Amino acid sequence: MVRAGVVGTHLPTSSLDIFGDLRKMNKRQLYYQVLNFAMIVSSALMIWKGLIVLTGSESPIVVVLSGSMEPAFHRGDLLFLTNFREDPIRAGEIVVFKVEGRDIPIVHRVIKVHEKDNGDIKFLTKGDNNEVDDRGLYKEGQNWLEKKDVVGRARGFLPYVGMVTIIMNDYPKFKYALLAVMGAYVLLKRES
Amino acid sequence: MAAAASQGGRSGGGGGGSGVGGGPSCGTSSSRTGLLDKWKIDDKPVKIDKWDGSAVKNSLDDSAKKVLLEKYKYVENFGLIDGRLTICTISCFFAIVALIWDYMHPFPESKPVLALCVISYFVMMGILTIYTSYKEKSIFLVAHRKDPTGMDPDDIWQLSSSLKRFDDKYTLKLTFISGRTKQQREAEFTKSIAKFFDHSGTLVMDAYEPEISRLHDSLATERKIK
Repeated sequence: MVRAGVVGTHLPTSSLDIFGDLRKMNKRQLYYQVLNFAMIVSSALMIWKGLIVLTGSESPIVVVLSGSMEPAFHRGDLLFLTNFREDPIRAGEIVVFKVEGRDIPIVHRVIKVHEKDNGDIKFLTKGDNNEVDDRGLYKEGQNWLEKKDVVGRARGFLPYVGMVTIIMNDYPKFKYALLAVMGAYVLLKRES
Repeated sequence: MAAAASQGGRSGGGGGGSGVGGGPSCGTSSSRTGLLDKWKIDDKPVKIDKWDGSAVKNSLDDSAKKVLLEKYKYVENFGLIDGRLTICTISCFFAIVALIWDYMHPFPESKPVLALCVISYFVMMGILTIYTSYKEKSIFLVAHRKDPTGMDPDDIWQLSSSLKRFDDKYTLKLTFISGRTKQQREAEFTKSIAKFFDHSGTLVMDAYEPEISRLHDSLATERKIK
């Protein structure tokens, strides 16, 4: 039997009550809600760190941001990188490198390589769609790149998928709103 | 607000000024008629979206729990749930260690520690899956009946249930494990959820509670005959 009159003394239950599930829980269930959220975050984190360990690259998946490598890669493509020490860097390969002082990595092709007997190399890069080589992008006085600047070598790619990342970086409020909604959904909804 | 709530004949244990928490163990039969805390909605008739399968199952499970704990005064045993919580906590601990270590010692120096943490995390995930599938199954309540004489070990009652997606047949299974003889007996019923909910989605305890009691008594009386 429904007691119709009592509702007025509480938060209204006929309107959207997002805390409804939470209010019926005991301490353990609440802790489990938090744990559930933490586990989803941890799983994503562990998969990412696992990829880092497997590929040897500090950033195994990158998004192409500019059109300097067209027609091979377009803005918004997703690239998969590996960075194994044993693989030699040869002219013609596509590498992702970081220039000192800039934090955004660049995806270009290696056009010249100088190699010493002990394995040290110096190489020069240029974007396929650029007129000139990358010396203008390097640090002041730097004419060559070294192994330590390399983030990884491109092994595979997925077209267009990276546009989502570009949009989220261009509109950070959208990114935070999306994350907040997803987080709230996991935290507030009781799992069966 | 708390003062106003306490005048409704609710026993002191329900005062829950800290707000959330306490669950079924706080409510007693006398509090059904009293005014409630602004936050806790334990004793209000449960109203849920009748088309949401998981909400329906949760409310049926919670009410079955309430009947066993309040009417028969059994004590809930949290061992199974605590096991799951520990496994999850340990997994998150590995993740946090990996995060902090990688931050303090940037890759590639952190490679061995990272590899260890990642592998441990996925091993823990595997353990968790095995635990929930085989040990916990669909049990949502483990309750003990303390022997009044204090001599024999406790009898254990377990409740488990299932409700398939988009189906309306709810199965509730009650298992009784005798403390003395370690024998196990079970009883279950499968009924349509339409028998327990009215058209607005309110759980009608008057229809549900006798079912639970019947299951319970069918297992309890067998014991006495023996």
